[in-house]
Amino acid sequence: MIERIVVERATKQYGAVSVFQDLDLSIRDGETVCILGPSGCGKTTLLRTMHGLITLDSGRILVDGTPVSRPRHNVAMVFQHFGLMPWKRVTENVAYGVELAGLPPEQVKERVRRFIAMVGLEGFERHYPYQLSGGMQQRVGLARALSLEPDVLLMDEPFGSLDAQTREILQDELLRIYQRGSSDAAGRKAPPAMVFITHSIEESIALGDRIVVLSSRPATIREVLTVDIPRPRTVASVIAHPRFVELRDRCWRLLREKAA
Amino acid sequence: MSIREAQAQVVTAAKRRSLFKARPGDWTVRIGSIAVFFLIWEFLAPGWNPLIIRPPTAIAKAFVELVESGELQTALVISMRSFVAGLAIAIVIGVFLGVATGRWRFAYNAFDPLVSAFYSVPSVALIPLIGFIFKFQGDAPRVAAVALFCVFPVLINTQQGVRNVDRGLLEVARAFNTSERRLWTDVILPSSLPYMLAGIRLAIGRGLIGMIVAEFFIGLVGLGYLIIQYGNVFRIDRMFVPVIVVAALGIVFMGLVQWIESRVAPWLRREQ
Repeated sequence: MIERIVVERATKQYGAVSVFQDLDLSIRDGETVCILGPSGCGKTTLLRTMHGLITLDSGRILVDGTPVSRPRHNVAMVFQHFGLMPWKRVTENVAYGVELAGLPPEQVKERVRRFIAMVGLEGFERHYPYQLSGGMQQRVGLARALSLEPDVLLMDEPFGSLDAQTREILQDELLRIYQRGSSDAAGRKAPPAMVFITHSIEESIALGDRIVVLSSRPATIREVLTVDIPRPRTVASVIAHPRFVELRDRCWRLLREKAA
Repeated sequence: MSIREAQAQVVTAAKRRSLFKARPGDWTVRIGSIAVFFLIWEFLAPGWNPLIIRPPTAIAKAFVELVESGELQTALVISMRSFVAGLAIAIVIGVFLGVATGRWRFAYNAFDPLVSAFYSVPSVALIPLIGFIFKFQGDAPRVAAVALFCVFPVLINTQQGVRNVDRGLLEVARAFNTSERRLWTDVILPSSLPYMLAGIRLAIGRGLIGMIVAEFFIGLVGLGYLIIQYGNVFRIDRMFVPVIVVAALGIVFMGLVQWIESRVAPWLRREQ
């Protein structure tokens, strides 16, 4: 397993306020790492530095061995507030990333069709975002990122603004898409390394291979937990697993300790 | 800046209007209220001095006379020529300067004081100056007057639109590695389009004022001159004809912009 993302002594400050300090972290190819921490602890800032949207004050972040300085086409991001263009139809929103990546039009078409199908939005191709529910809008956001077939997928609390039921449906969907990709014999690309920001303990256990628990500001790594629940998973199967309760309690304790 | 705030309020007011969803009975009430207005006018008019107020039927008769003599058509063509040309010039200049000042600090600092100064001067006060500049000849001075009246709402609204681009979407564009050209076509221009159209709607109202005033003072042609001409000889019935035509023009042009908006910006229907 090669290390896809390496974070070395990453430090970020806004003025005199330190957001995170001396973070060290590495994420392997095909692995899902959930970053769990209280609101405002700098998780989102960390994710943005991994994509080169925000620069570090010291330390460095390597993707595929090269330091990140600006966004690249092999890294894709899914946003908490979906980030869809209201004036683009579903197909145009999904095509956005692959078009900018410079794929030829036939390939763009093929990807758009395939990934709209993958997220279950067939029949909604001509809709505008305002005609879709929040869950469906985030499916568009997911398809837009996945259609780049990225090596790294950065998820910024993608399900945080959805209601509980929709959230669970999309978590299952993500697990399904992800696991199907990994067991695909047709020579399709292996699943990307995924960094998933969340403040939901359950979500981090359901989706993550590892969970990085951060402290509040300035964020440092409290602990890295390995989620030893086998795949393929569903949210229900994870919750029913005996390890789930232990992991959840452990996370709870870590999050509460630093709050006190 | 209070001018800016007023402009922004107009933009939000335009959006709020769609709070009232169209219902089948709407047009019955709208047309009915106009009909009632004309009926009251018709019945009250004979009690007034006919040199001041004439009933709608007399105006309708005058309308037919002016159409038969061809006066109205000639005036309308001349007025529309300067109005459309002036509005088009104002849209080009307004959008261009609005985009430039909304996006680049240098352009903003360079143009904003001038824009504020010119906008603070009542445009009417500049009409004689425009006459002198263009030597009172041809369509040019009237076109310039319309453009002057129209340019500021377009410019200021476009500027606001460009500045109000959702920062979240700018970040999305950056995250997907956008080019500068695609940033404009995908994000900045579509998101400022409703502001531009609101500016153009405001400009239409102002532009018609500019057109009429210029015809009063510079051209002595067109609908404005018809008003003056028949007002001077106390033909109130005929004087009202161009007034009503101008009102109708305003409604038609505003409706046209609204129609364009629904065609080019269908996503705006989501506003409540």
